[in-house]
Amino acid sequence: MSGQSKTMDTDRPAAALGAARSAADLVVAIAADANVAGFSVKGPRRVEGRVDAASLHSFASALRTRVGFEHLSAISCVDWLADGQFELVYHFWSYRDNCLVSAHVRIARDSASMETITDLWQPASFFERDIHEMFGVTFQGNTDLEKYILTDWAGPPPMRKDFVSRDFAHDHFEFKDYEPSWDDLVTGGYHGSRGVAEGSNE
Amino acid sequence: MSDIVTASDGRDIMPGAFAPENREYNMFIGPNHPGIEGNFALKLTVEGDTIIKAKTEAGFLHRGFEKLMEERLFIQNIAIVARICVPDPDPNEENYARAIETIANIEVPRRAQFIRVLVLELSRIASHLFTFGGHAGTIGLYTMPNWSISDRDRVLDLFEELTGGRVYHIYNMPGGVRRDLPDGFKDRVRDVMNFIEDRLVEYDDLFFNNKIMLQRAIGIGILPRDKALAWGATGPDLRAAGFAHDVRRDDPYEVYSELEFEVPTATDSDAYSRTMVRRREIEQSIGIVRQVLDRMPEGPVWNKQPNPLKWRVPAGDAYVRTESSKGEYAYYMVSDGGVRPYRVHVRGASVTHGVHILENMLVGARIEDASQIMFTLDACPPEVDR
Repeated sequence: MSGQSKTMDTDRPAAALGAARSAADLVVAIAADANVAGFSVKGPRRVEGRVDAASLHSFASALRTRVGFEHLSAISCVDWLADGQFELVYHFWSYRDNCLVSAHVRIARDSASMETITDLWQPASFFERDIHEMFGVTFQGNTDLEKYILTDWAGPPPMRKDFVSRDFAHDHFEFKDYEPSWDDLVTGGYHGSRGVAEGSNE
Repeated sequence: MSDIVTASDGRDIMPGAFAPENREYNMFIGPNHPGIEGNFALKLTVEGDTIIKAKTEAGFLHRGFEKLMEERLFIQNIAIVARICVPDPDPNEENYARAIETIANIEVPRRAQFIRVLVLELSRIASHLFTFGGHAGTIGLYTMPNWSISDRDRVLDLFEELTGGRVYHIYNMPGGVRRDLPDGFKDRVRDVMNFIEDRLVEYDDLFFNNKIMLQRAIGIGILPRDKALAWGATGPDLRAAGFAHDVRRDDPYEVYSELEFEVPTATDSDAYSRTMVRRREIEQSIGIVRQVLDRMPEGPVWNKQPNPLKWRVPAGDAYVRTESSKGEYAYYMVSDGGVRPYRVHVRGASVTHGVHILENMLVGARIEDASQIMFTLDACPPEVDR
């Protein structure tokens, strides 16, 4: 771990917190500074725990300003169809302590809504937009939830577990056999399912 | 100005051409553009030559891999994940295998861990060489792409011999790697490393110290350090801003904690320093490859797993991170105890570089620098689309 001191810079608020802490110490720090108990060490440099949806924003804010987590690594979403819930998992990385905190939040699947954290971490805007597009979770306060990847998509949010790709394809597309004759292939006469009208001799 | 739009008889032939509301116009770059590692579009609002607003448009390479992975067996997905990032596919294989190993508590033999590091570093070298070619192409130095991409082929030759595939390797299996090194492979790797080390010196004359490169790239696309942190930059883009964070050092995986390497940084954080950080990273990677070849122990390369067609991974979740050539690359995997993953979330390095940072950095830049800024940020569209 040589050169570690290079990352400690005085102009970053997290650097004022002293020496790097272990994962077990972070659990204590989270309980004290972010006022959320129940976090536990999951593995080397991994801490995880559950947070209420209503207190996620204040938790994240405390995690950033008081515990010193500067980097939002990702926001993941899992659809627990049987439970009727979405699970949002916020992954925060601390450059100071070299540890990842995963905060699991469960929200109701119907009219799923969550408070945004783009005011704390700007990169959250992409992750929230992506989850909105793929799962249909609305993030209150995020002004940029337009479609991004699926701009031509009119169906339901496709990453939901009740969206079955195969059924959707059967329902929305006509099945056609691709059996061109040899002559069609040679002359280029076969135009597939969208081919020219029969008898048009093109 | 007015004589441009005024005819000899005083008639205004372009009414309103210089009215304030007509000063701006829209410009599109992409989705097919040679300066991009995949199909990706930029919608620019331009005033004169200056970009005043930039929006990215993705989705041209969306293949629905995350959804597809939920419908296929754990073993089948190994062939998919490499396709998520074309220039640097191995971090995907590494992440996918390691996520399963973390959830299922599978031990990886030490020899396999060394081989994985070898493959990851070779992939980093190949990807950086590709980036040099791309960067040079955006500023009109067309000899460099010919050199660096043909040199990259030497690394791909090694991959072909080791794994059977040149670009996509499908080599990491949960529990190890698919096969051991071929006879004499270590010597051939050493030869290629010596070759690339010598070539870097030649690149200095051709590219890194080239007058055109110095004039076009220095001071262009500056990403200040506070912005880099606030906008979520990782990898070489963050290190070029003077912030030494490297997942290999700070969140070590496989055998990286036993290997000696430096984390190169720069201070200027412009297009030039980002490319120079990549050049110095190649030197470090060559050093890592040599250490791996020297220290690699003998032994098995795969901890044999049960029948992959009936293979169940215990319920659980894992968040694994890898330092790809582009930055932090992470997978969040959830298993419900079945034969298929319940959820795999791919967090590519480019989701911050290619969308948020790029949109912010292009504001105030000139049109001719847009593709250079995009390429030196190393945005990889297939990672954004998945």
